[in-house]
Amino acid sequence: MTRSTAIKVSNLTHTVTSNTGDLTILKGINMEIKESESVAIVGASGSGKSTLLGLLAGLDVNTSGDIFLYDQAFSSQTEEQRALARGQYVGFVFQSFHLLPSLQAIENVMLPAELKGDKSARQKAELLLDKVGLSHRLTHYPNQLSGGEQQRVAIARAFASNPKILFADEPTGNLDEENGQLIIKLLFELNQSEGTTLVMVTHDNELAKMCDRQLVMSAGQLTERTL
Amino acid sequence: MNFTFRLMLRDIRSGDLLTLLFALIISVSTVTSIGLFIDRLQLSFEQESANLLAADRLVRSDDTIAKDWEDKASELTLKTAQRTSFTTMLFAGDSLQLSQISAVTNSYPLKGTFLVDDELFGVGRKSTSSPEKGNIWVSSRLASLLNIQLGDKVEVGDATLTVSKYLVRDPGSSSSAFAISPRAVMSMDDLESTHVIIPGSRVRYSLLLAGDKDALQAYQNWLEPQLNEGQRWQTPTQRGERIGDTIGRAESFLLLAGTLAVVMSGVAMALASARFVKRHLMQVAILKTLGATPPLLRRIFFQQLFALFVVGAGLGLAIGWGLQEVIASLLSGLMSTALPEPSFARLWLGAATGLISMLVFCLPLMSHLIKISPLSVLQPNAKVELNSLFIYLVGFVGMYALMCVYTKGFLLPSIMTAAIAGIALLVAAIGWLAFKLGRSLTSGATSGWQIGLAALYRRLIPNLFQLLVFTLIIMLGLILIGIKSSLISDWQQQLPEDAPNHYLFNVQADQVDAINDQTAQLGVKRSDWYPMVRGRVTAVNDESVQFLYPEERGEPELYERELNLTWSDNLGKGNELVEGDFSAEGLSVEQKAAKEANLSIGDELTINIGGNIVTLPITSIRTVDWGSMQPNFYLILPKSALENYPANFVSSLFIGGDDAQPFYKAMSSFPTVSILNVGDVLKQIQTIIGQLSQAIQLVLLCILSAGALVLLASVRSTLEERLEEGALLRVLGARSALVRQALLVEFGALGIFSGLIAAIGAESCLYGLQVFVFNAQASFHPLLWLIGPVIGVFVISTIGVFASRTVLKVPPMHLLRDL
Ligand SMILES: Nc1ncnc2c1ncn2[C@@H]1O[C@H](COP(=O)(O)OP(=O)(O)OP(=O)(O)O)[C@@H](O)[C@H]1O
Ligand SMILES: [Mg+2]
Repeated sequence: MTRSTAIKVSNLTHTVTSNTGDLTILKGINMEIKESESVAIVGASGSGKSTLLGLLAGLDVNTSGDIFLYDQAFSSQTEEQRALARGQYVGFVFQSFHLLPSLQAIENVMLPAELKGDKSARQKAELLLDKVGLSHRLTHYPNQLSGGEQQRVAIARAFASNPKILFADEPTGNLDEENGQLIIKLLFELNQSEGTTLVMVTHDNELAKMCDRQLVMSAGQLTERTL
Repeated sequence: MNFTFRLMLRDIRSGDLLTLLFALIISVSTVTSIGLFIDRLQLSFEQESANLLAADRLVRSDDTIAKDWEDKASELTLKTAQRTSFTTMLFAGDSLQLSQISAVTNSYPLKGTFLVDDELFGVGRKSTSSPEKGNIWVSSRLASLLNIQLGDKVEVGDATLTVSKYLVRDPGSSSSAFAISPRAVMSMDDLESTHVIIPGSRVRYSLLLAGDKDALQAYQNWLEPQLNEGQRWQTPTQRGERIGDTIGRAESFLLLAGTLAVVMSGVAMALASARFVKRHLMQVAILKTLGATPPLLRRIFFQQLFALFVVGAGLGLAIGWGLQEVIASLLSGLMSTALPEPSFARLWLGAATGLISMLVFCLPLMSHLIKISPLSVLQPNAKVELNSLFIYLVGFVGMYALMCVYTKGFLLPSIMTAAIAGIALLVAAIGWLAFKLGRSLTSGATSGWQIGLAALYRRLIPNLFQLLVFTLIIMLGLILIGIKSSLISDWQQQLPEDAPNHYLFNVQADQVDAINDQTAQLGVKRSDWYPMVRGRVTAVNDESVQFLYPEERGEPELYERELNLTWSDNLGKGNELVEGDFSAEGLSVEQKAAKEANLSIGDELTINIGGNIVTLPITSIRTVDWGSMQPNFYLILPKSALENYPANFVSSLFIGGDDAQPFYKAMSSFPTVSILNVGDVLKQIQTIIGQLSQAIQLVLLCILSAGALVLLASVRSTLEERLEEGALLRVLGARSALVRQALLVEFGALGIFSGLIAAIGAESCLYGLQVFVFNAQASFHPLLWLIGPVIGVFVISTIGVFASRTVLKVPPMHLLRDL
């Protein structure tokens, strides 16, 4: 079976300006990820993993090089087209969750469906929160939730958009053994049943090993870890 | 329900929308109420001035109107009417009252209408006809003073007339909305039989004209060359009388207050908008991550802002309308006629203020926000630059345009903008220096002082901005207090208990002894008699006054009207010599009048006294205590210049409550003598001032409450940072007393500096306002220099510590979680 390419990156570099001057975080990255593959990105803290993940999801515009999502080049698209693509294909779990503080857990999870005008947003959100083990926390605000609980809400929100590609920045970073296993199970279930492409950043070697491929970020370069 | 509004409801729950909504409501309602109220006042002034002439044009004269003036008018097919106005005593049984009486011809008024009523103090119905022969219409005030009703008889000099109507308004009589004196209108046909008009009595004759423009112009061309000094050509726009001055000042005050309200609400809206946008940074970034496109976001926020505007402006307009009704009802007691209804059309002003400030402060920020990539917000070390120069420029232009529309001119907004820019520079300079100094004097973090002072410099830019906002608000408050007190103290004259409260006018030389006897019998305190001759200044140093002031605008009071002239051997009570020699053979001029006319010792004035011309040099300048209620004179001539003219005499008396009735009774044997009860007038004026200042205080309160809101908003805008810092300090072990001390030091220092700079700014603005806008004498306001810093420290520390109280109370864990 030949799988089509979900993500293709060629010669990606990214430079940011900080108060100490220009800083090139990514220096010429090339890679390809197939549909329904699961990929782990590992690397030292500050090596640029989160930056890469954000660029892959089109949350920022890279300095040079190209990123293709289903053969569409982000760099040649307008912000509107990128947003549409995100809505269509992409789910994203932030390293620091980024739940909206003014919204309850359930309302945070409802957002993606609501944006698509889905009338059954609430039922779906309830179901998803139940799946991540938070049915008893529906109407809590983010600041009333623990870090792990917030992370699970963020994952539920990412699932809610029925993404074809799910980007997760350390999805188990704040979770205990039991909840970590639960989330990993959910992620791979999605990967198996829906054919969702998984791209995660992780420090967890166990989790990385469960993925089809492992990519190592180092000095702004990405290399395949061969097992 | 649509997604936009669901989002909005959730925002309301979190309080983020409410700040903006409140700012909107307050600014719309403040601007609306002040705008509407000023509009009503102006409408009333306009109506009054249209009614002021009761004609298209009017010729005013100190002498009777020449026959050929009327002939020429009818030749040009102009309609004419005549009015003769004078002040005299009205008698009804035992009561008597000094009244202002107009005798008018049948055709009067040519323009405008009388308002008359059959009920005492009724609102009046229109009447274009004038009183018939034998009848007199009296104002309700006069009727109640005289205790008379319709059908009763009153005596005017030697004539007896029947009261046939209550007069609510005479179209030609007053130049202001405020009725003070008792008035009556009678038929011209009865005038002669009264024998009230005698040589020397103060009478104003008017010829009224109405017709088409060309005829009026032709008449003016024919007439003007013939006019002498005592005769004036008048158009309805000339306000003529100085009575309007007080109201004019109140008008400028309100206009200024309104402009300040616009500025203040602009600042409040800018702060609230910035906060609104800041609180939505995350929301926008997340929604974008989840696939919301810029057009969708734009639509969502446009709808939200629109809904917010509809609700906020709606409530604001309603509250503003109610508020201005309250202000108007406070003033209703002293309006001779009801204030004209405010026009609904004027509501746009408040709505426009809300709309424009929302447009200029929210939209550019919001659309900038929608454009930037989500990661530049969500990335942990991202700093979103929202303070683009462009956005502030748009905001500034918007506010400036609003102020211009509001004041219908560029002067006030430009002065104000320049003042604010100056203050901003001053704030930046002083603040930077002081904060830096504070920083270098202290190091370490062991005392609240050190932490507080260090914080000032660390947050330099936000603190300078906050300092500017505080300074501006305190300054506006101080300016308003300064204006208010100088306006009101101008109006309010403190009088000694037994100051004379009655004047006797029009006393003939042969009546003086008889009146002396009467007052002596009653034991009434009386000033000396002053001989009085009427005359008009016609030339200064041989230059004609008409030539010097051709437009009749800005004419000094000294030349404007016929003056009461007197002679005296000694400086009267309350007079003080400033310059020159009082006993010299020349003129003694009152100081203010001399200053206004730019006269000094040695200048020669030419005076027309009953057709004879005298020219005399000024030999002394003196001050007069107008508050003393002694007969006071602008010009005192040498005896030799006046003794050959028929003079009548004037004196002032103090009459206690019990003496009044016997005194009036005694005076009824001198029907041609005019008694002016200034006590009544003063009381009336004081009520008016009391009520006017109540209205002004109300306006002040509106504006200051808007200011307090701005203060709160600006403290809140830096609250997050303070909260975080406070919580961290406490996690690191600082006692809450230390954190509180640090906060107090920071806010207290901000308060002192803003109070001081505000005092500097307010003092200079007051100087400018007094000199250029109110045309009053500049004065120094020591009180402001005390109030400013004290209010600054007190209010700002209170608001600051109150707004930040969570830093101190809540366990640090909760705070850090929230952030
Ligand atoms: N907008 C920015 N401005 C300045 N510096 C940035 C910006 N974005 C990223 N960086 C810097 O680039 C480097 C890479 O950041 P990134 O978040 O991608 O690291 P990471 O690999 O995800 O690290 P961690 O494992 O700790 O999450 C960091 O040193 C970060 O400070
Ligand atoms: Mg990271």
